[in-house]
Amino acid sequence: MHAWSAAVDTVQSHLNAFTNTTGIPVNYGNSPWAQYREGMVTKFVGGAPLDMMWVSDAWLPEWAEAGWISPIDEYDFLTAYNSEAEDFCTDSMTYNGRQYGLTYYTDFMAFFYDESKIKEAGFDAPPATWDEVVEQSLVMKEKGISDYPMMLAMAQESWLIEFMSALVYSHGGRFTDDAGASIMQHEKDGAVEALQWVVDAVDKHGIVSPACVETGELSGLKAFASGNHAFAMVAKYRLRMLNDPAQSQIAGNVKQAMMPKGANGDHNTVGWMRFHGMATQSAQDKQRAENAARLIEWFGGKANGEYKFQKLLFLDIGAGFGVKPLFEDAEIQAAYNTYGDVDTIKAQQALALKKDVVTPWFGEWAETNGSAWQSAILGNVEPAAAIQKSADLWDELKSSY
Amino acid sequence: MSQFSQTNSGGIDYRRRQKVARLLQHLVILLGAAVLTIYALAPVTWLVSSSFQTEAEIVSVPPHWIPEEPTLQNFEAIFSATEEEEITYETRSGQDPASGGYIPSTAKNLIPSMWNSLIVASLVVVLNLLVGVPAAYALAKIRFWGRDASVYFILITRVIPDIALVVPFFLVIRKLGMLDSLGSLVLTYLAVTVPFSVFILVQYFEGLPDELDKAARVDGCSRFQALLRVFLPLSLPSLVAVVLFTFLTSWNEFLLALMFTQTEASQTLPIVLAAFTSDFTISFSFINAAGVLAIVPPVIVAVVFERYIVSGLTAGAVKG
Repeated sequence: MHAWSAAVDTVQSHLNAFTNTTGIPVNYGNSPWAQYREGMVTKFVGGAPLDMMWVSDAWLPEWAEAGWISPIDEYDFLTAYNSEAEDFCTDSMTYNGRQYGLTYYTDFMAFFYDESKIKEAGFDAPPATWDEVVEQSLVMKEKGISDYPMMLAMAQESWLIEFMSALVYSHGGRFTDDAGASIMQHEKDGAVEALQWVVDAVDKHGIVSPACVETGELSGLKAFASGNHAFAMVAKYRLRMLNDPAQSQIAGNVKQAMMPKGANGDHNTVGWMRFHGMATQSAQDKQRAENAARLIEWFGGKANGEYKFQKLLFLDIGAGFGVKPLFEDAEIQAAYNTYGDVDTIKAQQALALKKDVVTPWFGEWAETNGSAWQSAILGNVEPAAAIQKSADLWDELKSSY
Repeated sequence: MSQFSQTNSGGIDYRRRQKVARLLQHLVILLGAAVLTIYALAPVTWLVSSSFQTEAEIVSVPPHWIPEEPTLQNFEAIFSATEEEEITYETRSGQDPASGGYIPSTAKNLIPSMWNSLIVASLVVVLNLLVGVPAAYALAKIRFWGRDASVYFILITRVIPDIALVVPFFLVIRKLGMLDSLGSLVLTYLAVTVPFSVFILVQYFEGLPDELDKAARVDGCSRFQALLRVFLPLSLPSLVAVVLFTFLTSWNEFLLALMFTQTEASQTLPIVLAAFTSDFTISFSFINAAGVLAIVPPVIVAVVFERYIVSGLTAGAVKG
């Protein structure tokens, strides 16, 4: 089993329990997240022995098309868990009608606010729309509460597509339609309105720093934790860290609101997930495949009658889970309520949508798309023109694949 | 009449102007040196300072260059880790409230990874000298057919970027059954460093007079004895350059280590450091504490060999 270097002790403890229960020994290796995909591609190409590995939803089309991973939907005891999983999770693990794994970690882009700054600015409630974000931010600027009340991280990195998607979805737009054709260039149901909001926030209102194009998710998170901003869009699992006095200057003040909505949108956000996939070399050997399927269930499904691993991951580090019954777990509710509001989290997760640009050509397109957004934010090009460029490339890549 | 009085009558005071110019020159040099010193030392100072801060303090605005509440918790997490105990639900680090919820679970791998790096780097240095010195001596002092072609061939191997070698190396290492072992790193690092070591040494040996070699041979030395007793003592600066180059290259190498290692048994320092940024919770102060430890061995090597560094690195620089 190969994974990236996250929650290593938690994974190891659960693996040891698996071996003790089933008698199946497992070699567990890990490597850093930032280089994980490249490392795995080398391992696949080089024929390294692999049975099961962690897979990001973003890589599924590439790995499935290359034949490196195999579907797991022939194992009914695995697909049985779909009924309790969030729909966007199952959708994100499905490619060309086949399911490739079971999720063990799921999360979504959340909207956080610093309650003390909201109150200081004279507001009773957090913003519910993107217009209200502007309105409250301008008051904070005027009162000297924050120079740039809204934190957006728009640097070219792997998180960028999640930030963009959350902005687009909450404005009621999409990058592509159900058939995978580009609609991002549409004014109402595309991505133009969302990008226009960001451009205005930077250029017209000055509530988002122009340096956002060089701010990565982690830097933005730490800047929010330092008290520089009143609002931030970051991964939901960061809430625990933001309300931990040992890690944050604004601990205790950070609350989650539903993602603000645009004029044509709702409180939608983007969700993502990681899953356990089965290597094709394992799938080709009946015994190895069965053992791998049991291991996938042990992590993504139930172990000894409960969603043990997803629960451990949540309790240890606050990572989200993709199975709905865990929201009713008393231990989880108690843990969530020490730093967040479980009802808001549950409601927001229900409105999460999968990324609609995950395709074999995603990597090629994402770079140009990111640059187009950044150019518009810096005022070098009109938002509509930037998105049109992005859409043109999408269509070109789609037709060439 | 003195020059001074001449200036009083409206002449130009050249001496004073010269003095002011010299003073200004010194001031500019001093300022430049101060700016460069700050530029070079500020990141290291921040690295050390922040490693003694809590995660909450490290994000304070403005930053605290001197910790207000200094803490050793990051270093304690690194040094207090216990090994070899089977990890269970009860003993996993996520259950440990002392971790503050943000010390990465791979913290315990840091010291073993430093050992791994040290073993690999030391072996690569020793093997480089064992292979490189005789090779360079032969290429520099023995005339044989294909000598120049050999030198160019060795150099050409360094024109190929490492990334292009990853898959071929991976296949070889897998066939040899050396995946996830320190041996795989030693083997591949040698392939990367030996050509450059030989190049440095060849240039230096060629700068030493052939007469020394001939005299040693006339006095009854074998080729090996001439190398050992005559050339090596004279080549200390270039040997230091080779030691520094190979040690630092091996110590810092990331790409090949990423591909060939996957457990704590063989992972080297750069991989474990990178892994600290992979976890769900990321602590800048902890990563900086790890960074402080990571720079200690290279700094020690640099201090030990400091007097040879400049002459060693420029060895052969003016040879065509």
